[in-house]
Formats: sequence, structure tokens, C-alpha cells
Amino acid sequence: MEIWRVKDELVCTRRVPGLKTASLRVLQGQKGNIEVATDPVGVPVGKWVFTTLGSAARLAMPDPTVTTDLTICGIIDGWEE
Amino acid sequence: MRIMRVEKTLVSTNRIEQFGHRPLLVVQDKPGGTRSVAVDAVGCVPGDWVICVGSSAARDAAGAKDFPSDLTIVGIIDHWNPEG
Repeated sequence: MEIWRVKDELVCTRRVPGLKTASLRVLQGQKGNIEVATDPVGVPVGKWVFTTLGSAARLAMPDPTVTTDLTICGIIDGWEE
Repeated sequence: MRIMRVEKTLVSTNRIEQFGHRPLLVVQDKPGGTRSVAVDAVGCVPGDWVICVGSSAARDAAGAKDFPSDLTIVGIIDHWNPEG
């Protein structure tokens, strides 16, 4: 799993039906790279999180039929960087 | 499989329920390298050199086919020289 910081919320009204009503977050990686992840946790902006990718990302959603490839798994307690 | 070094434990109170209480560790491919999070299926301590599996093997190795892990520690290397 990768470590990221939540940079922003992402609003996307027009989306494929497969994405359903999944909540989205903009994440920034350790090298400054940007990715979008589905968020089943409800993470506020600024928190450090870890994510799972690939087919495991779908299993991490409450509904595994959501078409995602990156899902937030949890908020990291006491991470400093 | 990738060779990684265990840096420290990772504490995450607010996590998805599929993860249960499985221990999580911060691992690095080399000292000072990019940090990743791995599920610990063996029982490692910080400083151990370990082998990690990815993709669907990571889900199986973590205990169940529907466990949402993409990186799982499957073994501790007895002797490893990082300078090779």
C-alpha cells in the first residue's frame, strides 16, 4: 500500500454509472505526484492516508462493484513528514 | 516478490472494516527510498529484511481472497547484504 496526503476533495457530478456515488479525493504522493482515489472512510483534507491499488481497491470499497483502481484504506495516526 | 526492509509499525485507528486488526508495517525498498505500507502475515520487527508479494497473491497471503491488500509480507530473510 502507498502513503499519501489528502490534497483536496473532488466533485464529479457527471460520471460513469460504474463509479456510483463513491466519494473522491485528490491525493499527493511522496514525490509530489497527484492521483485520485475513492474514499470509503470520509477523510478530511490534510490527513495522511494509505491506499490499496488494482483489484484490491475494489474489494476495499463497501460495494466491490464500484469501478475504481485506488481506494483509501485508513488514516495514519501520528505521521510526520 | 520484492525485497524490502521493515522501518516501523504503522498505526491507523480509522481504517476500513475489511482490514480488521491486521498489523501494518512501513517498508522501504532501500534505506531512504520510497515508503510503502504492507500487511504483516509473518510477525516482523523493525530492521528485518523481508520479501513482499503484490497483486492477487497479496490478498491470498493476507488470509483471504477478498482481503483488500496489494502488498503483503510473506517471509523474513535470514541473512541479507544490501550492498549485494
